[in-house]
Amino acid sequence: MRLPERQVAALQAASATDAQPIPALAAAAGIDEAAARTAVFELEDDGLLEVDSETEETVSLTDEAREYLEAGLPEVRLYRAAVAAGADEAPVQMGQVIGASGLEGPQVDIALSNFARKGYGEIDSGEVSADPDADPDSDPEVAALERIAAGEPVDDDALLDRLDERGLIEREERTVRSVLLTDAGVDALMAGVEAAETADRLTPEMLTSGEWADVEFTDYNVEADAAEAGAGKVHVLRQASERVKDVLVGMGFQEMDGPHADADFWINDALFMPQDHPARTHWDRFALDVDPIEELPEELLQAVENAHRNGVGSDGDGYHSPWSEDFAREVALRGHTTSLSMRYLSGAAEGDLEPPQRYFSVEKAYRNDTIDATHLLEFFQIEGWVMAEELSVRDLMGTFEEFYRQFGITDVQFKPHYNPYTEPSFELFGRHPETGELIEIGNSGIFREEVLSPLGVECDVMAWGLALERLAMLYTGAEDIRDLHGTLADLEFLRNAEVIY
Amino acid sequence: MPVVDIDTDELRQLTGHEEKEDDQLKEDLFGLGLEFEGETEDGDLQFEFAPDRLDRLSVEGVARSLRYQYGDDRGVYVPDTNDAEWTIEVDDSVPAERPYVAGAVVRGVDLDDDALDSLIQLQEKLHATMGRKRAKGAIGIHDLAMLKGERIEQREVGEDNELEPPEDLTPVGGDEGPTDVGGPTISYRGVAPDGDEFVPLDADRGMTPAEVLTDHPTGETYADLVSEYGRYPAIYDELGLFSFPPVINGQRTEVTTESRELLVELTGTDQWTIDRMLAIICYALDARGATIEAVDVVYDDDAPGEHAGDHLVRPELDTREKTVSHDRIETTLGIELEMEAVVDLFERSGLDVTTNLGEETQYEVEIPPYRVDVLHPSDLVDDVGRAYGFGDLEPEYPDIGTIGGRHERSRLERATRTALVGLGFEDLLNFHLSSPEENYDRMGVEEGADALGGGEAVEVTSAYSEDYTQLRTWALPSIMHVLENNTHRRYPQELAEVGFVAERDDGENTHVAEHRTVAAAIARTDATYEDVKGKLQALVGEFDAALETPATEHPSFIDGRAAEVVIDGESVGVVGEIHPAVLVERDLEVPVAAFEFRLDALAE
Repeated sequence: MRLPERQVAALQAASATDAQPIPALAAAAGIDEAAARTAVFELEDDGLLEVDSETEETVSLTDEAREYLEAGLPEVRLYRAAVAAGADEAPVQMGQVIGASGLEGPQVDIALSNFARKGYGEIDSGEVSADPDADPDSDPEVAALERIAAGEPVDDDALLDRLDERGLIEREERTVRSVLLTDAGVDALMAGVEAAETADRLTPEMLTSGEWADVEFTDYNVEADAAEAGAGKVHVLRQASERVKDVLVGMGFQEMDGPHADADFWINDALFMPQDHPARTHWDRFALDVDPIEELPEELLQAVENAHRNGVGSDGDGYHSPWSEDFAREVALRGHTTSLSMRYLSGAAEGDLEPPQRYFSVEKAYRNDTIDATHLLEFFQIEGWVMAEELSVRDLMGTFEEFYRQFGITDVQFKPHYNPYTEPSFELFGRHPETGELIEIGNSGIFREEVLSPLGVECDVMAWGLALERLAMLYTGAEDIRDLHGTLADLEFLRNAEVIY
Repeated sequence: MPVVDIDTDELRQLTGHEEKEDDQLKEDLFGLGLEFEGETEDGDLQFEFAPDRLDRLSVEGVARSLRYQYGDDRGVYVPDTNDAEWTIEVDDSVPAERPYVAGAVVRGVDLDDDALDSLIQLQEKLHATMGRKRAKGAIGIHDLAMLKGERIEQREVGEDNELEPPEDLTPVGGDEGPTDVGGPTISYRGVAPDGDEFVPLDADRGMTPAEVLTDHPTGETYADLVSEYGRYPAIYDELGLFSFPPVINGQRTEVTTESRELLVELTGTDQWTIDRMLAIICYALDARGATIEAVDVVYDDDAPGEHAGDHLVRPELDTREKTVSHDRIETTLGIELEMEAVVDLFERSGLDVTTNLGEETQYEVEIPPYRVDVLHPSDLVDDVGRAYGFGDLEPEYPDIGTIGGRHERSRLERATRTALVGLGFEDLLNFHLSSPEENYDRMGVEEGADALGGGEAVEVTSAYSEDYTQLRTWALPSIMHVLENNTHRRYPQELAEVGFVAERDDGENTHVAEHRTVAAAIARTDATYEDVKGKLQALVGEFDAALETPATEHPSFIDGRAAEVVIDGESVGVVGEIHPAVLVERDLEVPVAAFEFRLDALAE
């Protein structure tokens, strides 16, 4: 039989006839007591040892008792001083006796109370008389203390109780286990036991050699904290973006792609944004220092210019704003990703589209402004649109309610709004899933004919947009968008961000 | 978005609803799309609204909308206009850049402080919106009593006037004249920058228009609008120059609460725009009980612009008509409506309707002149929806079947990010905008260098911040920046980004070449070339592509420890140990090994 080393030692040290306490067994086996105890219990579990437990009282002296053993009990010292002063013949002034005894402080009271109790004499009216027949040399309390000091047992319980009361001893109960070999243990020893090795780590060699079967693994402290693993993680805004994309793909939307730097034509003119619209002025645009776009679809360019100048349809009016092709051709960073929608709706991206269609993008847009806690120069815009023969405001509401419901935002409200490119238009408000606050969560509407007709779209298209950061800040609880996005990002924030699913 | 300040006492008085508490008014206004924003110092309530209904830029206009909403008023209202007495002549000297004028006379005005404040507010808000900060249209309001309108004699002009003096305007009124009007006249003309003098508002001396632009605070604010003009716009009466549009009025004609008769004049770059601004002003003054009187606007035959030789009567308060089909209304709202209900909704929107029962039921809708937002019948459908209450519509998920899916590029980015994260990298999301200092200088790279990142940058023409003046040409500078900002955070720091970069490229339609890039860096005490190359190999291997790394030189990397990233035979990036000079520049105290290459190299 192969057993762990400590078990082998314990088993070999045990006797089938003489029960041994564990410390004795440990000494005989040459292992430490803790190891011996563990081994004994393991062997008991295996039926190789029998463990008998008894409760034993141990008595030990207090510091006070050890002092008395040295100097004598206070009452004995008092008696001897009294006898020396002649109190065995006639009462002596107490002060004189105490002074001679050398007793001080609380010891005086102790001496006086025990002096009378033990019949060493009497104290009356401030005078001490000693009993000449008393025998302090054979004081049983002293004898008991001496026995305890020598480690010998004291059988007189009343005496022990009294010493305990005087605070001269400490009594402690403990379990004493004694160990005997069982018959199975004897058999095992007869058959022979060998020590198996213990191992700190499981090694490839142990596995291939089969040694693992004979190895005892040392225990780890499995509750202790471990060094933190440095795991990578997809950026929290990207995770939010993935979540949005999942939802939209699930709702039947196809993803769009297209240029970040684009002609103002695609960014604004196609959207029926007048060229003198405040958002298109010098400072709000993110104009780039490159030459104008080379190619724009010629027919579309004219149709868009015509819509701006004259409106669309027999009853339509145009803007009374200047319009120049040069401006339309200028290249800027897109202020919204609706430029992608224009490219797709026009057929420039993927060819003409027949209804029904659903398209989306979650892509960056740019705003030329100052940076603060909730605004960056770059943000992700969620853009989506639905094309069908006929669409109503109710379809729009139903679609967006469904979208926001996926993010736990309910009670979506539609506030009538104005955009140059949609009519009707709605600002979307919803309840914050945690705070219950009513917050703005997007802008939506049905594209105007002045947008769709030049693009060659003859059916209805409804669209909406919102900033991804708005959703993500709800998710992450981030209060400063700069912690999340960009080169100012705090790595610790990103590392600790909860995953989004 | 525009904000209108409203004194709710005035609003109660103008709507005739004295019983409405402020909270009730707030709620009613929210229904119109005016959102409560806060209070002014004077205790007025501020409301923000979308810039379509510019007729609501005054308490008078808001009151009118509320009366329609409450059902107190129905249908179109047009103020009566008395016949013209005054004439505005447009001289051929008018600057061609600002050729148009409009005007009206308003009598029986009783302006208390509130009413005057409201008028000034309306003027300012119209300037800010339709007027495009006075560039497209500017309003001047004058005390008519201070104007003398006898036919204007040729005025003496200063010696320094290099331009031809304006033609003699005196002999008007004969049979040959554009009109027979013999009434009082003012004149819109051009004047040399130092060609005349007047005392502007908030000044204590006479100034030439040019002096106003340099020495007067209002003049400085609006100087850019006219400073390039050869002649400055000016309005004259018999006594001389009294207004310098679009910059400032003269002190002589200043409007006060004592004023009982007003002249409103507008100049601008578009006749329609100033006509509409005038209409909104006239509606507001009419709501205060004033009487509107027309003005004849007579353009000289040689006046610049589209109206040379025309005789216009202003204000132009004609209604317009547009036709909407019943079907379109039902389709857009997604509900069925009785014709009577639609007519009712139109009238409650302040519109008049004639129902046309043909093959298809149509409504001919009459639109008042202050409705500058109505361009198309769809705008009228919106009116019906608002009057009906969009909030009362039941949402309905459209029964349309389409198939969803991701764009290939977006799938490739996701797969690459997933692979990088699997290799232990923290995925970053950095700005696309950067600066030459970050993008080139601090990496030791020169713009135009034949090295990754050396591409010519696309710059922003009007940047607010010097930190963000161009699109980044590569992503490693961004990652280095994040390392620099996080030296107090736990190491190792293994960072990666799959992101956008761009550079100037005249071969592109937009002259901007846009790419997606894959960049990664390992920063830790023992980071080496081998560590980062191991990750690169693993990444490229995941896409079943072949990687080679022939030695190269790159100014951001240590010589002898940099290699080209060649994927499937194409050189697409660089890998190596970052040069100590670059690390020290960013106060990094650990070595960094990094790579960057074009994402499309991983595509099939």
